[in-house]
Amino acid sequence: MFDIAFNNVNEIIGMNGHGIYVWSVYSIAISILVVSFLIAKNRIKGVKRKIKIKNAPS
Amino acid sequence: MISVIIHKFSSPKSFVQITKTLYPLFIFTGLFMLIIGWTWGLLFAPPDAVQGNSYRIIFLHVPAVIFAELIYFFMALCALMHIVWRVRLAAYLIKSAAPIGAMITFIGLFSGSIWGIPTWGTWWQWDARITSTLILFIMYLGILTLHGSFSNLEKSDRLMSILVVIGVVNIPIIKKSVDWWSTLHQPASISVSGGSSIDPSMLYPLIISVIGLGFTLISLGILTSRSYILGREKNKKWVLDHV
Repeated sequence: MFDIAFNNVNEIIGMNGHGIYVWSVYSIAISILVVSFLIAKNRIKGVKRKIKIKNAPS
Repeated sequence: MISVIIHKFSSPKSFVQITKTLYPLFIFTGLFMLIIGWTWGLLFAPPDAVQGNSYRIIFLHVPAVIFAELIYFFMALCALMHIVWRVRLAAYLIKSAAPIGAMITFIGLFSGSIWGIPTWGTWWQWDARITSTLILFIMYLGILTLHGSFSNLEKSDRLMSILVVIGVVNIPIIKKSVDWWSTLHQPASISVSGGSSIDPSMLYPLIISVIGLGFTLISLGILTSRSYILGREKNKKWVLDHV
Protein backbone atom coordinates (compact mmCIF):
# COMPACT_ATOMS: atom_id res chain seq x y z
CA MET A 1 0.00 0.00 0.00
CA PHE A 2 2.92 2.35 0.67
CA ASP A 3 5.02 1.58 -2.43
CA ILE A 4 5.32 4.55 -4.76
CA ALA A 5 3.28 3.90 -7.91
CA PHE A 6 5.88 5.39 -10.30
CA ASN A 7 9.49 4.56 -11.21
CA ASN A 8 10.85 8.07 -11.79
CA VAL A 9 9.97 11.79 -11.81
CA ASN A 10 9.11 11.74 -15.52
CA GLU A 11 6.45 9.08 -14.87
CA ILE A 12 5.06 11.14 -11.99
CA ILE A 13 4.76 14.21 -14.22
CA GLY A 14 3.48 12.34 -17.28
CA MET A 15 1.22 9.76 -15.55
CA ASN A 16 0.96 7.78 -18.81
CA GLY A 17 -0.50 10.72 -20.68
CA HIS A 18 -2.91 11.74 -17.88
CA GLY A 19 -0.51 14.08 -16.06
CA ILE A 20 -1.79 17.14 -17.93
CA TYR A 21 -5.32 16.53 -16.58
CA VAL A 22 -4.34 15.53 -13.05
CA TRP A 23 -1.71 18.20 -12.37
CA SER A 24 -3.66 21.05 -14.01
CA VAL A 25 -6.72 20.28 -11.86
CA TYR A 26 -4.71 20.20 -8.60
CA SER A 27 -2.68 23.31 -9.53
CA ILE A 28 -5.76 25.39 -10.32
CA ALA A 29 -7.68 24.16 -7.25
CA ILE A 30 -4.74 24.87 -4.91
CA SER A 31 -4.31 28.34 -6.48
CA ILE A 32 -8.02 29.11 -5.95
CA LEU A 33 -7.80 27.97 -2.30
CA VAL A 34 -4.63 30.02 -1.64
CA VAL A 35 -6.14 33.15 -3.24
CA SER A 36 -9.33 32.66 -1.17
CA PHE A 37 -7.29 32.55 2.05
CA LEU A 38 -5.29 35.65 1.04
CA ILE A 39 -8.49 37.58 0.22
CA ALA A 40 -10.08 36.53 3.54
CA LYS A 41 -6.98 37.52 5.54
CA ASN A 42 -6.80 40.90 3.76
CA ARG A 43 -10.49 41.54 4.42
CA ILE A 44 -10.03 41.05 8.16
CA LYS A 45 -7.09 43.44 8.13
CA GLY A 46 -9.09 45.96 6.07
CA VAL A 47 -12.14 45.82 8.33
CA LYS A 48 -10.01 46.18 11.48
CA ARG A 49 -8.14 49.13 9.93
CA LYS A 50 -11.41 50.87 9.00
CA ILE A 51 -12.83 50.39 12.51
CA LYS A 52 -9.63 51.70 14.11
CA ILE A 53 -9.55 54.78 11.84
CA LYS A 54 -13.25 55.48 12.46
CA ASN A 55 -12.82 55.32 16.21
CA ALA A 56 -9.43 56.98 16.49
CA PRO A 57 -9.43 59.98 18.87
CA SER A 58 -9.30 63.15 16.78
CA MET B 1 -36.08 26.38 26.17
CA ILE B 2 -34.51 25.69 22.74
CA SER B 3 -34.73 29.39 21.95
CA VAL B 4 -32.90 30.30 25.19
CA ILE B 5 -30.11 27.78 24.49
CA ILE B 6 -29.73 28.91 20.87
CA HIS B 7 -29.50 32.59 21.78
CA LYS B 8 -27.05 31.87 24.60
CA PHE B 9 -24.58 30.15 22.24
CA SER B 10 -25.13 32.28 19.18
CA SER B 11 -23.75 35.65 20.12
CA PRO B 12 -21.45 37.04 17.39
CA LYS B 13 -19.02 38.12 20.13
CA SER B 14 -18.61 34.57 21.49
CA PHE B 15 -18.34 33.18 17.96
CA VAL B 16 -15.50 35.54 17.03
CA GLN B 17 -13.65 34.84 20.29
CA ILE B 18 -14.02 31.04 20.14
CA THR B 19 -13.15 30.73 16.45
CA LYS B 20 -10.09 32.93 16.86
CA THR B 21 -8.76 30.35 19.34
CA LEU B 22 -9.77 27.36 17.17
CA TYR B 23 -8.44 28.71 13.85
CA PRO B 24 -4.75 27.65 14.23
CA LEU B 25 -5.79 24.11 15.22
CA PHE B 26 -8.23 23.78 12.30
CA ILE B 27 -5.89 25.19 9.63
CA PHE B 28 -2.95 23.05 10.82
CA THR B 29 -5.08 19.86 10.90
CA GLY B 30 -6.63 20.68 7.51
CA LEU B 31 -3.41 21.39 5.65
CA PHE B 32 -1.58 18.47 7.30
CA MET B 33 -4.31 15.98 6.32
CA LEU B 34 -4.65 17.43 2.82
CA ILE B 35 -0.90 17.04 2.23
CA ILE B 36 -1.01 13.45 3.52
CA GLY B 37 -4.19 12.54 1.59
CA TRP B 38 -3.17 14.12 -1.70
CA THR B 39 0.45 12.84 -1.57
CA TRP B 40 -0.82 9.33 -0.80
CA GLY B 41 -3.45 9.53 -3.55
CA LEU B 42 -1.26 11.10 -6.20
CA LEU B 43 1.94 9.11 -5.66
CA PHE B 44 1.31 5.94 -3.62
CA ALA B 45 -2.19 4.72 -4.52
CA PRO B 46 -2.10 2.21 -7.40
CA PRO B 47 -3.45 3.22 -10.83
CA ASP B 48 -7.06 2.29 -11.56
CA ALA B 49 -7.51 -0.83 -13.71
CA VAL B 50 -9.85 0.95 -16.14
CA GLN B 51 -9.09 4.69 -15.88
CA GLY B 52 -5.33 4.48 -15.31
CA ASN B 53 -3.91 7.54 -13.56
CA SER B 54 -6.67 10.00 -14.51
CA TYR B 55 -8.75 8.63 -11.59
CA ARG B 56 -6.33 10.43 -9.20
CA ILE B 57 -8.51 13.52 -9.71
CA ILE B 58 -10.96 11.70 -7.38
CA PHE B 59 -8.95 12.84 -4.32
CA LEU B 60 -9.88 16.44 -5.14
CA HIS B 61 -13.17 16.05 -7.01
CA VAL B 62 -15.08 13.90 -4.50
CA PRO B 63 -14.15 15.96 -1.40
CA ALA B 64 -15.00 19.17 -3.31
CA VAL B 65 -18.45 17.93 -4.33
CA ILE B 66 -19.18 16.53 -0.85
CA PHE B 67 -18.49 19.94 0.70
CA ALA B 68 -20.37 21.78 -2.08
CA GLU B 69 -23.47 19.96 -0.80
CA LEU B 70 -22.62 20.00 2.93
CA ILE B 71 -21.99 23.76 2.94
CA TYR B 72 -25.42 24.33 1.39
CA PHE B 73 -27.00 22.01 3.96
CA PHE B 74 -25.25 23.96 6.74
CA MET B 75 -26.56 27.21 5.22
CA ALA B 76 -30.08 25.76 5.16
CA LEU B 77 -29.87 24.92 8.89
CA CYS B 78 -28.63 28.46 9.58
CA ALA B 79 -31.46 29.86 7.43
CA LEU B 80 -34.02 27.96 9.51
CA MET B 81 -32.45 29.30 12.71
CA HIS B 82 -32.61 32.81 11.30
CA ILE B 83 -36.21 32.53 10.11
CA VAL B 84 -37.59 30.74 13.21
CA TRP B 85 -35.52 32.18 16.07
CA ARG B 86 -34.20 35.39 14.43
CA VAL B 87 -30.59 34.44 15.24
CA ARG B 88 -28.40 37.21 13.80
CA LEU B 89 -25.27 35.05 13.76
CA ALA B 90 -27.04 32.49 11.54
CA ALA B 91 -27.57 35.10 8.80
CA TYR B 92 -23.94 36.21 9.11
CA LEU B 93 -22.79 32.60 8.69
CA ILE B 94 -24.95 32.09 5.58
CA LYS B 95 -23.48 35.22 3.98
CA SER B 96 -19.93 34.07 4.88
CA ALA B 97 -20.40 30.46 3.76
CA ALA B 98 -22.01 31.23 0.37
CA PRO B 99 -18.82 32.41 -1.42
CA ILE B 100 -16.93 29.37 -0.06
CA GLY B 101 -19.75 27.12 -1.29
CA ALA B 102 -19.63 28.76 -4.72
CA MET B 103 -15.84 28.39 -4.85
CA ILE B 104 -15.81 24.70 -3.88
CA THR B 105 -18.74 23.90 -6.21
CA PHE B 106 -16.78 25.54 -9.03
CA ILE B 107 -13.75 23.38 -8.15
CA GLY B 108 -16.00 20.29 -8.14
CA LEU B 109 -17.49 21.14 -11.55
CA PHE B 110 -14.15 22.14 -13.03
CA SER B 111 -12.28 19.03 -11.78
CA GLY B 112 -15.14 16.82 -12.97
CA SER B 113 -15.05 18.42 -16.43
CA ILE B 114 -11.31 17.87 -16.78
CA TRP B 115 -11.69 14.29 -15.48
CA GLY B 116 -14.41 13.71 -18.09
CA ILE B 117 -12.06 14.40 -21.04
CA PRO B 118 -9.91 11.24 -20.71
CA THR B 119 -12.64 9.01 -19.19
CA TRP B 120 -15.89 9.95 -21.00
CA GLY B 121 -14.38 11.67 -24.05
CA THR B 122 -16.23 14.90 -23.24
CA TRP B 123 -15.75 17.73 -20.74
CA TRP B 124 -19.48 18.42 -20.38
CA GLN B 125 -22.69 16.42 -20.56
CA TRP B 126 -26.15 17.63 -19.50
CA ASP B 127 -26.68 14.60 -17.28
CA ALA B 128 -28.68 14.81 -14.05
CA ARG B 129 -25.74 14.89 -11.61
CA ILE B 130 -23.75 17.55 -13.49
CA THR B 131 -26.81 19.70 -14.24
CA SER B 132 -28.07 19.61 -10.63
CA THR B 133 -24.57 20.52 -9.40
CA LEU B 134 -24.50 23.43 -11.89
CA ILE B 135 -27.86 24.54 -10.45
CA LEU B 136 -26.27 24.42 -6.97
CA PHE B 137 -23.46 26.69 -8.21
CA ILE B 138 -26.02 29.12 -9.68
CA MET B 139 -27.95 29.00 -6.36
CA TYR B 140 -24.83 30.09 -4.47
CA LEU B 141 -24.30 32.99 -6.90
CA GLY B 142 -28.00 33.89 -6.70
CA ILE B 143 -27.89 33.99 -2.88
CA LEU B 144 -24.88 36.32 -2.96
CA THR B 145 -26.48 38.53 -5.62
CA LEU B 146 -29.77 38.71 -3.72
CA HIS B 147 -28.03 39.69 -0.48
CA GLY B 148 -26.09 42.42 -2.27
CA SER B 149 -29.22 43.86 -3.89
CA PHE B 150 -30.72 45.62 -0.86
CA SER B 151 -29.42 48.49 1.21
CA ASN B 152 -31.49 47.28 4.19
CA LEU B 153 -29.28 44.46 5.53
CA GLU B 154 -31.95 42.98 7.84
CA LYS B 155 -34.30 42.64 4.86
CA SER B 156 -31.44 41.11 2.81
CA ASP B 157 -30.76 38.58 5.57
CA ARG B 158 -34.39 37.50 5.72
CA LEU B 159 -34.87 37.17 1.94
CA MET B 160 -31.54 35.35 1.64
CA SER B 161 -32.62 32.87 4.34
CA ILE B 162 -35.91 32.19 2.53
CA LEU B 163 -34.08 31.59 -0.78
CA VAL B 164 -31.62 29.22 0.93
CA VAL B 165 -34.47 27.16 2.42
CA ILE B 166 -36.24 26.97 -0.97
CA GLY B 167 -33.01 25.91 -2.69
CA VAL B 168 -32.29 23.04 -0.28
CA VAL B 169 -34.64 20.85 -2.32
CA ASN B 170 -31.78 20.58 -4.84
CA ILE B 171 -29.49 18.72 -2.39
CA PRO B 172 -31.39 15.38 -2.32
CA ILE B 173 -31.82 15.71 -6.09
CA ILE B 174 -28.02 15.91 -6.53
CA LYS B 175 -27.53 12.99 -4.14
CA LYS B 176 -30.16 10.70 -5.71
CA SER B 177 -29.72 11.84 -9.34
CA VAL B 178 -27.51 8.82 -10.15
CA ASP B 179 -30.23 6.46 -8.87
CA TRP B 180 -33.28 8.25 -10.31
CA TRP B 181 -31.93 8.88 -13.82
CA SER B 182 -29.53 7.16 -16.20
CA THR B 183 -26.39 9.28 -16.03
CA LEU B 184 -22.72 9.09 -16.96
CA HIS B 185 -21.93 9.04 -13.25
CA GLN B 186 -21.76 5.69 -11.52
CA PRO B 187 -23.98 5.05 -8.45
CA ALA B 188 -22.42 5.89 -5.06
CA SER B 189 -19.33 3.78 -4.27
CA ILE B 190 -19.29 4.71 -0.58
CA SER B 191 -22.28 4.86 1.76
CA VAL B 192 -22.49 5.88 5.39
CA SER B 193 -24.49 2.76 6.28
CA GLY B 194 -23.15 0.09 3.98
CA GLY B 195 -19.40 0.07 3.44
CA SER B 196 -17.48 0.76 0.24
CA SER B 197 -16.70 -0.86 -3.09
CA ILE B 198 -13.40 1.06 -3.34
CA ASP B 199 -10.12 -0.74 -2.56
CA PRO B 200 -8.63 0.38 0.80
CA SER B 201 -5.44 1.58 -0.97
CA MET B 202 -7.62 4.21 -2.69
CA LEU B 203 -10.30 4.61 0.00
CA TYR B 204 -8.00 5.65 2.88
CA PRO B 205 -6.33 8.58 1.06
CA LEU B 206 -9.79 9.61 -0.15
CA ILE B 207 -11.15 9.70 3.42
CA ILE B 208 -8.09 11.64 4.63
CA SER B 209 -8.52 14.12 1.74
CA VAL B 210 -12.20 14.62 2.64
CA ILE B 211 -11.35 15.31 6.31
CA GLY B 212 -8.42 17.55 5.32
CA LEU B 213 -10.48 19.62 2.89
CA GLY B 214 -13.23 19.85 5.53
CA PHE B 215 -10.93 21.38 8.14
CA THR B 216 -9.36 23.67 5.51
CA LEU B 217 -12.78 24.97 4.44
CA ILE B 218 -13.87 25.45 8.07
CA SER B 219 -10.70 27.52 8.58
CA LEU B 220 -11.54 29.61 5.51
CA GLY B 221 -15.09 29.95 6.83
CA ILE B 222 -13.76 31.20 10.17
CA LEU B 223 -11.76 33.93 8.39
CA THR B 224 -14.59 35.06 6.10
CA SER B 225 -17.18 35.03 8.90
CA ARG B 226 -14.90 36.95 11.28
CA SER B 227 -14.35 39.76 8.75
CA TYR B 228 -18.08 39.87 7.91
CA ILE B 229 -19.18 39.88 11.56
CA LEU B 230 -16.69 42.60 12.49
CA GLY B 231 -17.95 44.67 9.54
CA ARG B 232 -21.63 44.19 10.41
CA GLU B 233 -21.19 44.79 14.13
CA LYS B 234 -18.65 47.60 13.76
CA ASN B 235 -20.61 49.99 15.96
CA LYS B 236 -20.83 47.57 18.90
CA LYS B 237 -18.56 48.09 21.90
CA TRP B 238 -17.21 44.51 21.86
CA VAL B 239 -15.92 45.00 18.30
CA LEU B 240 -14.01 48.12 19.34
CA ASP B 241 -12.49 46.16 22.23
CA HIS B 242 -11.69 43.24 19.89
CA VAL B 243 -9.76 45.25 17.27
